[in-house]
Amino acid sequence: MKKLSVFLALVLLLLAGCGTGSASSPPAPDGADRYLTQPVPEGKPAPVEPGQVEITDTAYTCTLSISCVSILEHPELLVKEKQSLVPGDGWLLKPTVVTFYEGESVFDVLLRTCKQQRLHMEFEDTPIYNSAYIEGIGNLYEFDCGDLSGWMYKVNDWFPNYGCSRYTLKQGDVVCWEYTCDLGRDINGYIREMR
Amino acid sequence: MAQRDSFSGCHPGLNMLYFAAVLAVTILCAHPVTLAISFGTAGAYCVQLYGWGGFGRRCLWLVPMMAMAALINPLFSHEGATILTYLPSGNPLTLESILYGLAAAVILGAAVLWFGCMTAVLTTDKFVWLFGRLLPALSLLLSMTLRFVPRLVRQFGQVRQAQQCVGRDISRGSVLRRVGSAVTILSITLTWALENAIETADSMNSRGYGLPGRTAFSIYRFDKRDVLVLAWLLLCCGCVAAGWMSGGLAWAYYPVLQGDQAVLVQAAVLALFLTPVILNVREECVWKRLRSEI
Repeated sequence: MKKLSVFLALVLLLLAGCGTGSASSPPAPDGADRYLTQPVPEGKPAPVEPGQVEITDTAYTCTLSISCVSILEHPELLVKEKQSLVPGDGWLLKPTVVTFYEGESVFDVLLRTCKQQRLHMEFEDTPIYNSAYIEGIGNLYEFDCGDLSGWMYKVNDWFPNYGCSRYTLKQGDVVCWEYTCDLGRDINGYIREMR
Repeated sequence: MAQRDSFSGCHPGLNMLYFAAVLAVTILCAHPVTLAISFGTAGAYCVQLYGWGGFGRRCLWLVPMMAMAALINPLFSHEGATILTYLPSGNPLTLESILYGLAAAVILGAAVLWFGCMTAVLTTDKFVWLFGRLLPALSLLLSMTLRFVPRLVRQFGQVRQAQQCVGRDISRGSVLRRVGSAVTILSITLTWALENAIETADSMNSRGYGLPGRTAFSIYRFDKRDVLVLAWLLLCCGCVAAGWMSGGLAWAYYPVLQGDQAVLVQAAVLALFLTPVILNVREECVWKRLRSEI
């Protein structure tokens, strides 16, 4: 009986812990918005929450490219089974002009293009950042080329400090998806505020 | 047990060695051929130990469990070069993730079947004998806990039958009455368990449990057949280990299926896994021959 009550108490404690954990969100750092995004630099577009923006039928074009050229500099870090996946010039998708519709995000364009090109891409929705997180493109996944590796994106040579589902595209934008082996330092995309 | 198992008559150390090797290969190796061998031989040995009926009863819950394990992987893992179609979420459904799920299911099923064989062969007395010197308290605890559930279930059945005789049947009467009878039976069983624990403790006490200088009774001898079986097991284990170390069992499911097709290593795996089945078949042949000579 005593053991049972101790067990029950433990279960209750655990439940209580889970309850408080999910109810109160962690306090946001100074100046960050509710999705933990630091203020956007002057002149750069602010994040737009997906679902709150209307997607119309007006078609625009942008340039999309997917590159893993940074792996070519660290081939020894790459998982053995995936060596054959890296193209010789590092381009998984050379700069391509693609059509998108007004209000669509970088993620929407990437998803559609990958489906059209039959290029493998896996993502995961992360509610805390209100955005999709790109885990892998072309079977090259985060952490496949060292502990600091993964996919980043830049639009018009700027690495946004928020997720790709929150970046609404404009006519003529140049979107590059780049694989980093060092938290973005090797592709000039290191974001100091994001730790 | 459907028939006498020849491997159960071998020395407990051999039983332990065999199951340790088999489980290690099954759980740590993901090569599809090895998994097929493991699952097939586990099924064959299970049939020899428990008969087709016992094997079928196991499969009744094992197959749905394996199906679930196989289905879950492609839902959560989307890695793999062969895109079959796209899931509603937008992530791809890949051939490799399905095959990996199947492999995981087979590992699960084979491990469950092997543990089923292990409980029949490596009985608690052998277990206590093997580990009694090394970890006396732990082996006693393990053997008692492993024995507890089957014993409780058997006692529950006996109490239920006895209660049925005096008219307190859980399969008849109104729902309230049935629940009442079930609670009575449960209460009786639990009381028995508590009382039995005290009796066990008293019995152990009076037999001198924990006193220094006690010896353990054992009837296990390492005879000539055991030497042969040990040599055979060591030979097989050595071949498998050597093949494994040199990468003969290497296999990757992602991003595309790739790996070694070393026939010799797989033959060694098959030889190792089939040891008890071979022993049983051989014994049966000898028995038939002897009987025909009478």
